[in-house]
Amino acid sequence: MSASAEDLEEFRAHVRRWCRAHVPKGWRRAQTGVPEEEYVAFQRAWFAELRRAGFAVPHWPAEWGGGMSAAEQVVLYQELAAHDAPRLVLAFVAIHHAAATLLAAGTGEQRRRHLPAILDGEIWVQGFSEPGAGSDLASLATTARRDGDGYVVNGQKLWASGAAHADWCLLLARTDPAAPKRRGISYFLLDMRTPGIDVRPVRQATGEWHFCEVFLTDVVIPAGQLVGPENGGWAVAQATLAAERGMTMLELAERLGHAGFGWLVQACSRPGPGGRRPLDDGLVADRLAGLETEISGLRALCRRLAEDHDAGVAGPADASVVKLYYSELLQRLTDFGAEVAGLAGHTQLQKPASSGWESGAWVLDFLGSWEWTIPGGTSEIQRTIIGERGLGLPREPAAPR
Amino acid sequence: MTAGSAGSAGFAEVRDELRAVARDLLGKAGPQAGIDWRLLAGAGWLGLEVPAALGGADATFAEVAVIVQEMGRAAARCPYLGGIVLGVGTLILLEPGPGRDRLLRQAAAGDAVPAAALTDGEQDLLSAGGIPFRLERSAGGLWLHGRAAFTPDAADASRLLLLAAGPDGTPVIADLDPQAAGLSVIAQPVLDETRRFGLVTADGVAVPAASVRRFAGDPAAAVRRLLDRAAVAVAVDSLGLSEAMLDATVAYARVREQFGRPIGSFQAVKHACADMLVQVSVARELVAAAVHQLAAGHPGDPEATVAASMAKSYTCAAAVAVTGKAMQLHGGMGYTWESGIHAYLKRATLNRSLYGSPAAHRRQLAARYR
Repeated sequence: MSASAEDLEEFRAHVRRWCRAHVPKGWRRAQTGVPEEEYVAFQRAWFAELRRAGFAVPHWPAEWGGGMSAAEQVVLYQELAAHDAPRLVLAFVAIHHAAATLLAAGTGEQRRRHLPAILDGEIWVQGFSEPGAGSDLASLATTARRDGDGYVVNGQKLWASGAAHADWCLLLARTDPAAPKRRGISYFLLDMRTPGIDVRPVRQATGEWHFCEVFLTDVVIPAGQLVGPENGGWAVAQATLAAERGMTMLELAERLGHAGFGWLVQACSRPGPGGRRPLDDGLVADRLAGLETEISGLRALCRRLAEDHDAGVAGPADASVVKLYYSELLQRLTDFGAEVAGLAGHTQLQKPASSGWESGAWVLDFLGSWEWTIPGGTSEIQRTIIGERGLGLPREPAAPR
Repeated sequence: MTAGSAGSAGFAEVRDELRAVARDLLGKAGPQAGIDWRLLAGAGWLGLEVPAALGGADATFAEVAVIVQEMGRAAARCPYLGGIVLGVGTLILLEPGPGRDRLLRQAAAGDAVPAAALTDGEQDLLSAGGIPFRLERSAGGLWLHGRAAFTPDAADASRLLLLAAGPDGTPVIADLDPQAAGLSVIAQPVLDETRRFGLVTADGVAVPAASVRRFAGDPAAAVRRLLDRAAVAVAVDSLGLSEAMLDATVAYARVREQFGRPIGSFQAVKHACADMLVQVSVARELVAAAVHQLAAGHPGDPEATVAASMAKSYTCAAAVAVTGKAMQLHGGMGYTWESGIHAYLKRATLNRSLYGSPAAHRRQLAARYR
């Protein structure tokens, strides 16, 4: 940790002043039920605002515009959450997954081309999953055939969150159909304006349309947009997935602790029918205290992971432990919120766009929690990773094929 | 050394070394073995928190916690909880003086085992008036009354440190010989054979004024600190139990074969082990936070009590789940006496009830929401 306790408190005061001046007033109401274009414009404006303050990509290396220690990031995220700042939803894949990929495996030219562009608002989408390749991601069937100075891509991607607004796509495609399945995959940067791309939104359980199907028909990708070696994409993808599983949690855990839990206590303190507050029930108080305890554990775990990651000593399954624990804790917390909110919770038909995963619209939040327990490797896949890579348990014998 | 340096990198190294030595020494003794007290004195573990001038190491609760965790790991049988964590832990919070200093020096050398009686067993630690003994002034001096059930290691102690309300209500410590007239210590056998408890009863014990010891700072804060220490130490012990059972279960699942393959390759077993690791990982963070608060913070800091309640409630409940799952995944072998898993399950279950149940600690946390 580089910053002293005094420096951190000074930084906290600075963030507080900034939040009081810049967090848009009344954004929750304004963002509830807004048309898609307004939500996108709001996200872009908020990203630009954070960027001007130096708060958009604190986790990036200093040379690219970040450079905050884990301790400083924790303070930043705590204060943003405590001041109920909007979340960066649209830029999420760009600042986390795309950046992690470029920093881990991109060429100098790829980094120079895209990292500053992301700061200028370039939006990214992840093109990994397919209808036939979910948990078994390595069985993906989208092909990229070498053709002169480029590759010709054909196939279908699914669960591409935010693809409708994306400028670029992190794409996995099979370049060697004859190789064992993990060894024939390559990793590409795909310009979403390329001819042959058809994006169709998919409606999800919450009623929203964030996920998309992406159809790729004879899409040409220049060879310079390959990341890592040809047929070496699986290892590159692991870096991207690790970012999703681990480092993104620092912000989400602080938000859970400093905003989500506060919303829950408020909900439990509101008199219900008959004037009784849920909090007056010992069982409710007990569950609240249990959740607060677990959130404290999660926050410490996330912080430890960030520090270990920076020091290069994180274990092979540490990020999976954090992802699994966060997603299931979020599900338990929002489930409890839905229970406390009662029937009134079911009358909240929309949650504010740009809000966190625990927005206070508890029933929708509860439904939305499966967006954490399923994507990025399901909870079941995380448990397998933890068992095999974290604990060294033997792999399942491969099924005969 | 100052308490504030407890979190520095240099002390992290000291703790790593202490941990390695402790694991080696306790490992050689074998699981659930009785530990030679002289050996612990020689290793310097008894006087970790004792000032150097009195023959101690001038270290902090963070170093004591390392030993407690390894004792949990080994399910070791010795009076470290009563004599050192609570006994010495009480003495260092008292005003210095010849009597106190002599006892600290003897405790560090292993020549005396002071056991502290802080609560009356099952009573709610957190309620007001929880002090188990009271000193009454009447003709001719001070007289002690009261009882404290489930006092760790009371029967093995050479001195008893009894938390009492003085005649004016101020918490003090009555430092007594267990043989004093009117004082009795009755062993309370429990299913966990690695732990020993005593019921301490004072029925009009004459207490010389010189045996009444005052706390150095705010007495209420000192009592709070002692109860937090007790709760966190038990949580640390439960963390050690959990770590040992996770390791044993993973090792067993790697080699035990059924249906022609290691049982650890089956998802049902693998995922259960993954869940154990997650629980242990969360417990480790909550315990680390609470230990840090107690080692570095000042008595009376309410954040230390919050961290203690979180660590105690989560870790002690998780340890029962983890040790229980260890028994389950070891199958029939796990249910045998010979496997020794029962000792961990019993100790984890006992720890859960000792110094405040998970529900009692959560009730204390929830009081902050009002």
